[in-house]
Amino acid sequence: MSSQLFIQTVANAIAASGMLALIAVGLTLAFGVMQMANLAHGHFFMAGAYTVYALYALAGWPFWWAVAAAVAVGALLGLIVERGVFRPLQGDVVSGFIATAGLMFVFEVLVGEIWGWGLSRPIPSPYMRAFRFMGAAVAFQRVLVIPFAVVSIGGLMVFMRRFRLGRALRAVAQDPEAAALQGININRMTALALAIAGAYAGLAGGLMSTIYAVTPSLGGHIILPALIVVVVGGMGSIEGVTLAALIFGFVMTFVTTLVDGVTAVMVSVTVMALVLAIRPQGLMGRVVA
Amino acid sequence: MLLEVKDITVHYFKVPAVRNISMSVQEGDIVTLIGSNGAGKTTTLRAISGLKHPSKGEIRFGGKRIDRLAPHRINALGLAMVPEGRRVFPQMTVLENLLMGAFLRKDKNEIQKDLENVVFKHFPRLKERTKQMAGTLSGGEQQMLAMGRALMSAPKLLLLDEPSLGLSPIMCGEIAAIIRDIHREGETVILVEQNARLALALAQHAYVIETGNIVLSGPARKLRENDDVKKAYLGG
Repeated sequence: MSSQLFIQTVANAIAASGMLALIAVGLTLAFGVMQMANLAHGHFFMAGAYTVYALYALAGWPFWWAVAAAVAVGALLGLIVERGVFRPLQGDVVSGFIATAGLMFVFEVLVGEIWGWGLSRPIPSPYMRAFRFMGAAVAFQRVLVIPFAVVSIGGLMVFMRRFRLGRALRAVAQDPEAAALQGININRMTALALAIAGAYAGLAGGLMSTIYAVTPSLGGHIILPALIVVVVGGMGSIEGVTLAALIFGFVMTFVTTLVDGVTAVMVSVTVMALVLAIRPQGLMGRVVA
Repeated sequence: MLLEVKDITVHYFKVPAVRNISMSVQEGDIVTLIGSNGAGKTTTLRAISGLKHPSKGEIRFGGKRIDRLAPHRINALGLAMVPEGRRVFPQMTVLENLLMGAFLRKDKNEIQKDLENVVFKHFPRLKERTKQMAGTLSGGEQQMLAMGRALMSAPKLLLLDEPSLGLSPIMCGEIAAIIRDIHREGETVILVEQNARLALALAQHAYVIETGNIVLSGPARKLRENDDVKKAYLGG
């Protein structure tokens, strides 16, 4: 591996980590508050990418307006899924699993029917510039996601510790009944968690849309690594998931660059199995009594 | 009457856990509900706090019907419950737990004042441990924290479910003394206990519950002298 390729791959790995973290943090937050996994979470990411495609590439909006709209679309989808799927199911884990699996197909078909199947949607790059670093060129748009991931996830961590609503989210995740007894409206908290989850996934999808193959199956492709990251990080742990996203962002990017994508998935799953063999609760998960 | 429970029946699936229970609580009293394991004490408290809706009957708190309200709405009306098994938030600090108790209060100065003048006065031990994770506290300290958390909502009525459960005799005595102090300062309390001796010593009024029915009620002083109560709950 040449030093230029190495630097480019490191930059790509950090960007992939940031993207994975933005997706997985929301997934784990929603899981913590509801104790249910949202399989359609990857489709919030896809919705973000298609929002940028529709508004920026097709309708000609400024790129950043389209990204802001992608965030809003993600949050709105989160709210709809909370109200329409998770709230009526009331903690029924199996039904939630099946319902969100079904939702994946609904979103996918909907997007496919509106914008077409098959080839990926071409989205012109808003930034043609590149960073030059030790002889390597790193395209600006490839690493765009990094500052957003750092600020969003750092902000979320502060929110969860320092703010009344953030603490209430943690309380609901730790003991919903006891939280309700403190005057916390559980439904409102799950709605908040899903809105944040959707917004973060929408942001990631919007930012990555210019370098990813935007197809209706994008959501299904992204959910597997996101679930791996959540499981390894420890279900419900934002810090653990961020760490795991960093690990898998590097593992997947380097293996993909050196070997290929299929091998990268195999290696990732193996790493997951190894971590879980040593720490079944994940890197920073708590043991649930 | 601050609280009135009229003829409620609570089902778990098809099985009634309590049947046609009525009880009332006068402002300023400690009212206790005693009975053996599985008699329906906790179910009654869960119905009052909104965690389980009764299938029949009504519950009024300060004159307002609450038997169809969600628990957070009932808390907002001034009713706080310390659930069985303390149920503190294990991965939050002592201070964070206490602040969760004041979730619906907006005035930061008042919250700070109650933290010092109510919680830390009754439970000085919590003040030394504000930064400790609640899950690492001893059982007695967790009980104190759960009670402090409930008091942080400045409730008109405090529900205590088995506060002495699993505690050492010394800690039991300590908790009992604190309940008495809190009551002396004007708090109205419903106390559910398996430790009938402790409960009858603290309460003004008592209800005895057996297999989902109230079989006896009256002033705690009188129930202490009742032969059946003595035989069944006070060890002869």
